[in-house]
Amino acid sequence: MFNCKDSIDFLLEYLDGTLPETEARQLHEHLTGCFPCIDFLRTYRATPKLCKRALAKAMPEELAQKLKGFLRAKLEKK
Amino acid sequence: MTTDRNVETVRQAQSQMETPPTAVLEPRQDQALLTLAQGGDMAAFESLVNLHQDRVYGLALKMTRSDADAAEIAQDTFLSAYQHLAEFRGEAAFGSWVHRIAANHALMRLRHRKVVAEAEGQLSDPEFTERGSLAHYPQSDWSRRADEKVLDQELGEAIQQATDKLPEGYREVFLLKDAEGMSYEEIAQIMALSVPAVKSRLHRARLALRETIDAFYNEK
Repeated sequence: MFNCKDSIDFLLEYLDGTLPETEARQLHEHLTGCFPCIDFLRTYRATPKLCKRALAKAMPEELAQKLKGFLRAKLEKK
Repeated sequence: MTTDRNVETVRQAQSQMETPPTAVLEPRQDQALLTLAQGGDMAAFESLVNLHQDRVYGLALKMTRSDADAAEIAQDTFLSAYQHLAEFRGEAAFGSWVHRIAANHALMRLRHRKVVAEAEGQLSDPEFTERGSLAHYPQSDWSRRADEKVLDQELGEAIQQATDKLPEGYREVFLLKDAEGMSYEEIAQIMALSVPAVKSRLHRARLALRETIDAFYNEK
């Protein structure tokens, strides 16, 4: 029978769907009776999405113009 | 009843795991422009640059944490792409290919910096009791906040700082997988790691960042 620590150790592969059947069944059994771990799983799953949004950066327009100039100068020499 | 609801919750959580976005943007538009660029059409290549420059720059900035490095990596990436355009056969999508070139350039720069890796012990993991139960129950389920239209600016800053503090090697794996959507195999190849090592680092990085976000919502 898995405890919270076992379950959290295997969360990545569980959510990827790559956890072997036996471990997946044990983890699933633990989760069905453990509310804290369900909350943990939900927030673990949301973490990449939140981080991706927080870290998103677009190239500043001035830099985009410089990049275009750089590539033109380099490639026109060829 | 409670158990049935829990089973459903678990299934939903599994099914909602985000799929990597790499393939989403890859369209016929890229293919048409690529064909023209491979024939020497500079304007078509510039259009490809326009389409992919934000992702390339974003990746470089996240990896190096330096505006100057990110700008140079973007230059080097598109220059390399142009120089090897004829060799690109389209086995992968153009965006994935360019992204991978950018990741390689960024990793090379990080290696040159010779940053001393911080101890793995500095990663913050959840705490457990002797019996392996969670020592601190999550006080709130903030997972739905990930779908809110506007991201809290303070949270964004907290995530940025926590990502910066991840040990070298863990930060790169996390960024390449969860921020950039690369596959485990691609990351393993460019970082010279095994796939299990990539997964292990990703898991530890996610746990540490989850702790940061959890602390943000519970202390607010």
